Formats: sequence, structure tokens, C-alpha cells
Amino acid sequence: MPSGQPLPPKENSLFKRILRCYEQKQYKNGLKFAKQILSHPKFSEHGETLAMKGLTLNFLGRKDEAYEHVRRGLRNDLTSHVCWHVYGLLQRSDKKYDEAIKCYRNALKWEKDNIQILRDLSLLQIQMRDLEGYRDTRYQLFMLRPTQRASWIGYAMAYHLLNDHDMALKILETFRKTQMVSAPFDFEYSELLLYQNMVIQESGGVLDAIKHLDMYKENIFDKLTVLEIYGSLYLQMGEYHLATLCYEKLLRRNQENTPYYLMIKEAKQLHNDECVYNMLCGYRKKFPKALAPKRLCLTFASGNAFQSEIDSYLRAGFHKGVPPLFVDLRSLYKNKHKVQIIESLLEMYVNNLTKFSSFDSEDTSCKEPASALLWVYHYLAQHYDYLDDIQKALTYIDMAIAHTPTLIELFVTKGRIFKHAGDAYEAYKWLDEAQGLDTADRYINSKCAKYMLRANLIKEAEETCSKFTREGVSPMENLNEMQCMWFQTECALAYQRLGKWGDSLKKCHEVDRHFTEIIDDQFDFHTYCMRKMTLRSYVNLLRLEDVLRSHPFYFRVARCAIQVYLHIHDKPPTDASSSNELDTGEFIT
Amino acid sequence: MNIRCAKPDDLMNMQHCNLLCLPENYQMKYYFYHGLSWPQLSYVGEDEKGNIVGYVLAKMEEDCEDNPHGHITSLAVKRSHRRLGLAQKLMDQAARAMVECFQAKYVSLHVRKSNRAALNLYTNTLKFTISEIEPKYYADGEDAYAMKKDLSHFTLLCADDEIPSSDSLSNAMKKIEIDS
Repeated sequence: MPSGQPLPPKENSLFKRILRCYEQKQYKNGLKFAKQILSHPKFSEHGETLAMKGLTLNFLGRKDEAYEHVRRGLRNDLTSHVCWHVYGLLQRSDKKYDEAIKCYRNALKWEKDNIQILRDLSLLQIQMRDLEGYRDTRYQLFMLRPTQRASWIGYAMAYHLLNDHDMALKILETFRKTQMVSAPFDFEYSELLLYQNMVIQESGGVLDAIKHLDMYKENIFDKLTVLEIYGSLYLQMGEYHLATLCYEKLLRRNQENTPYYLMIKEAKQLHNDECVYNMLCGYRKKFPKALAPKRLCLTFASGNAFQSEIDSYLRAGFHKGVPPLFVDLRSLYKNKHKVQIIESLLEMYVNNLTKFSSFDSEDTSCKEPASALLWVYHYLAQHYDYLDDIQKALTYIDMAIAHTPTLIELFVTKGRIFKHAGDAYEAYKWLDEAQGLDTADRYINSKCAKYMLRANLIKEAEETCSKFTREGVSPMENLNEMQCMWFQTECALAYQRLGKWGDSLKKCHEVDRHFTEIIDDQFDFHTYCMRKMTLRSYVNLLRLEDVLRSHPFYFRVARCAIQVYLHIHDKPPTDASSSNELDTGEFIT
Repeated sequence: MNIRCAKPDDLMNMQHCNLLCLPENYQMKYYFYHGLSWPQLSYVGEDEKGNIVGYVLAKMEEDCEDNPHGHITSLAVKRSHRRLGLAQKLMDQAARAMVECFQAKYVSLHVRKSNRAALNLYTNTLKFTISEIEPKYYADGEDAYAMKKDLSHFTLLCADDEIPSSDSLSNAMKKIEIDS
């Protein structure tokens, strides 16, 4: 039963035009037609027209009127699926998903096979992770529209998400058989096959997954993923020779992927470091331009081998001048013996470079550029900083700056040494110096702003950031709009240190809102990915969103907020001035 | 250092890297749009702690089916990780994926006219050429150079990539028989 208030033909055709205007986003025209119906005294309280008028007003930003009209329309025609559907859409636009689901359910009571309402309901159910509800709705859609692709995919996906792999695979395979591979390059079919394979793997069917790939690999264009899946499946099966072949193929594509080397180590069943080292030497020779095998050699080498490896690694780095050399090697510092070796080599380089402009003392035919010594000083500063020897670190960084007073990296390192030593203010001054040397580089600008915030200089930090935010908008606002969480988090922490509890909480809640927004962002992808067939990535997105707030960015800001709230609880503001300062009204509920 | 294809999990950290390094920023939804439309095209470089130190965010231009081509939305390498050749390595991976998965003929990008460093990287290191000037391309009114790079040499590379699995099934079956 559609409506308790049927319209005569003339008004009915006007009503249809309202619907069309809504679909085509011609909201002004929609309102015009609504007015034509509602101005007729007989239909001034026509429920569906009032509801549609309300929905249209909502898109024109007139929210209060929208709710008023939609609710009035619904009261006038409680048996109309249109009124309920519209009320659901309105609530959905305000992200009141639970309420919207209730409305859709009411709408379906009066029109149980309405495809549009069922689709809208299924979107909310997946958004809210009502997986059982989603499966039931997808089943209805499947029965109503068995020829549509989305019906099959949605139905299969519902079972996949409920971990009923067998059912999901049955549906997917039946669907796959109906797919005609039309073009020689059919990206969507390729993605469908990869999704099918993902479900097979998750069902635990290692051999089935291999069989599936063997059968369809020609139709999959994402060769990288195919090889990675083969490699991992062969490893799981203990087919080590085949696994090795796969990862070697992968290395030919990308020699900078560290895990590939480690997978080969696994596949070759190499359990002692020396064997791994020898294997890596082989790859280093094979891929002379690659950084990864060179670096990995240092991890697995020990004793004399390490001594000679690190010697040539460091020389090459200093010769070329590689700023991240220390960061690159830092993880070796877990091994005290390796630190010793590095330190004595560095001392030797300083000595020889100063005296002979060479890394060696005897063979002085090979002269190094003057910058080599500079990079050794720079490395030594970071080396001693890491080892908590602040004095030595400062000595070397000052020697480096005296050598070349215009190198930005040196000032950044000097700032970092002070930061580690606990002097946030002095640290900021050196970053400010660095920033002044290259005002066009946002990385330095960001670092400088961060150090300002560590020194509680919030105004200055905002001013610094403003060089890269949109003109005509306040920097804070622009950074918030761009979801610049690091800045907002550092602000929150600075306010916390300053005892400005209200301001601190304000920043914490801004970051929290970004996370809410990122969860809402999913919504459009429920439909989009089914159309694009990028189902693997879609499922991974759902899984990411399920645990989104476990991200370290959230953790930091949540800890800050918790500390502030606890502080306010333990020491509630007493006099007027501190409650002014507090200004937390909207957060304490 | 590790270079690999970006996963949905990486997108937030790519946004973080972008906000640190570049003046052109995007909300998360735009990163999701890239990751969920062309999952193969974006790459990240990460340090040993798993922090993203460089990335390329890439897409296909959708409006030209007969002449498919890729587009670099954003490419950044942290200043602290320069001189390792990361940008080129990231770009090469993305370009190959564009050809392999989407039959791209070329890849395009935009760069600020005033950004000499980037222009130098694209021209000299990455071998892009300027195809035109787009006036007032950026929100602040600055012009952009539209640049292009031909990808036909990748097509040859991709043809030479047999997957080593010819006997895999029979091997695997044999193993199952022996086990049971």
C-alpha cells in the first residue's frame, strides 16, 4: 500500500517532477513544484509532498525547516514508504545511521520489495557493520535482481565478511562463470579473480588458491600481486624451490624490497647469519645499483666481514654525501660490537681526511672531496647524540658547521641534539636558523613549527605554518581542514604543558573529529568499489576502518585528552579566573 | 629502506608525509579514492621503523579510453631521505604498474612553475618533458607546467615476465599424495 493520500493525476505528475528535480539536483525547481501542490487547499497537508519538500530544503542547507517538513509529512501519512524513506535519507545525511536504519525498516514494511530502499538499507548496514542484517538485505536484493552484477558481489561479500567462506566462494564461482571476458584487457575481471583468490586463501585452501591462480593467471594483469601470492603460498606449502623462483622474479621488478630478500632466506632455509650474508652478497653483485642488499649485508655480517663491509659502505656514503646515512645505519647500533667498529673507523677517517684528504693514510693518490670530512663530522655528531654523549655530539656538529656554514641538515641535527638533551627552546632556535636558509621547503618549515610547539611557542608555530597554508584563511583553520594531525597533536600537548586545559582539549577533539570523518569517508566506497570491482582493497579498507582508532596518531592525542580530563577531575577549577581559562563546557558532558 | 606497493593501511601515513613535505594537500577521502580505484599504482618508501619517508600517489586519467595514460597526483620524499634515488625508484614502480595493469601509453604530472628543484628532478632525473603551460592551475594563482613521459619502453619490460609456476600444480598434487 503506497500512500494513504493518493493525488489526482495533475498533482501526481507534479509530484513526479519533484522527484526528478531531486535526482537531478535541481532543488529550486523542486521547491517550486512542491509549492504548486501544497498551495492547493485540498493538498496543503499532503504527506509525501511535505516530506520531499523537506528533503529538498535539506540540500539547500535549511536543516531545521527540513526536519520540520519531513516530520510533518510523515505524521500525515504514516503508511507511506516514501515518507519513511525520506526521513531515513534525512537522518543519514546527518550521519544518524541507527535512526536511518529504523526508518528504512519502516519504509520496507509498506513496500517490502523496493530496490532503492533495500540498497540504501544495505549501505547503512555495512557502514554500521550489521553484517547479519547486511547479508539478509543482500539476499533480498539478489532474489529481486538476479541478473545484476552488484547483486552477486554484494551477496558473496556478505558471506565473506561473516567468515562463511564456502558460501562466499560458491556464489563467486557461479558468478564468475557467467562473466564473458570481453576486452583483451578487462581490469574488472582481473580484480574479481584476485578477490576470489583472496577468499580462497582466507578459507585456508592453500592448494586451491594455487590451482585457482594456475588456471586464471593469464587474466590477471596485476602480475606483482600474482607473484607475491604464489611466493607466499609456495612458502606455506614448503615448496621452497618454487618460492625462491617467485621472489627472484619479484626482485627483478623491485630490488629495493627488503622483505623479498628475507623471504628468499626463508625459502632457502638459511638459519645462520653467515649463510644469509653470503646469499646477500650474491644479490648485491647481481643488482649493483640496489641499496637494499648492500644494507642488508651489514645486518647479517659479523666480525671481519662486517669490518670491511661497513668500511666501504661508510666511505661510499661520505664520498657521495648521503644525509640519511646515520638513520640508515641506526638499527645496527643495537649491537655494541658493531658500534665499536664504526666508531674507530670514523676516528680514522677524521684523522686521515684532515691530514691526507683521503680515507687511508698511505695511499694518498685517491683524494676525497672536501665535503667528505664534513659528512664524517655530521655523522659523528649523530653517532654521539645517539650514544647520549651530548658534549661530543655538539663538538662535532660545531666542527661541521664551521666547515660549511650553509648546510641546512647541520642545523637540523644541532637542533635535534638539543632536543634530545631536553632543551626545547635552544632546539627550536637552531631549527629556526635552518628554516631561514630555505623558506621554500615545507619539510624544514614543518620541522621548525614542530620544534616551536615543543618549546610551547604556539603563536610562532602557527605563524611559521602560515607560509604554506591557504591565503585568506587562518592557518589553524586551514590545517584543521587539511586534517593536519601532527600539528594539532603537538598543539594539544603544548597547551597541556601550559595548563591551558580547554585549549588542549579543543585540539584533541579536533583530531578525534578527523577520525570520525575518516570513518564516515567509507560510505561512498560501499557502492563505488562494487562498481569498480576493487574488492580486495575494499575489504582491506573495511578492516582498516574497524580498527582505525588504534592508529598511533589517535593514541597520542587520546592519551593527552585522558590526562587533561583526569587532571580536571582531580583538581576541579575553583575560582572564576581558572574556570575562564578552562572553557571546557562543550567537552564535559 | 623498503619500497613496496601502498596498501589501504598506508594511506593515512602517506597523508602525513604529504603534509610535512608539500604545499598541495588533500583530505583522506582523496587518498582512499586513489587506493580503491587503482590499488596497484601508488608506492611507498619506508624506513626500518616502518615510517613512510617517501611516496608516489598515482592514478589513471579516466576520460580517455582510447589513449589510456597515468597521472602522478603527488610525489614526495622527506628532505631527511634525499640523495638515495627514492623518487626515481618510486616512479619506476608506479609507471610499470600503469603499463601492466592499465596499458598506459604515457604518464603526466603538474609542477609549479616556481619549483625549480622539482622541475629539475622531473626533467633531468625522471626524463619528463614539458608539454604545455596551464595558467593559474594552482589555487594561489600560480601557473603549472604540464609534463609528460612516454612509457612504451615499459611495455617491452612487461612482456618478459613469465610466472614460474608451470609445474606447480603437479608438484603440489604429488606432495599431497605423498602426505596422505
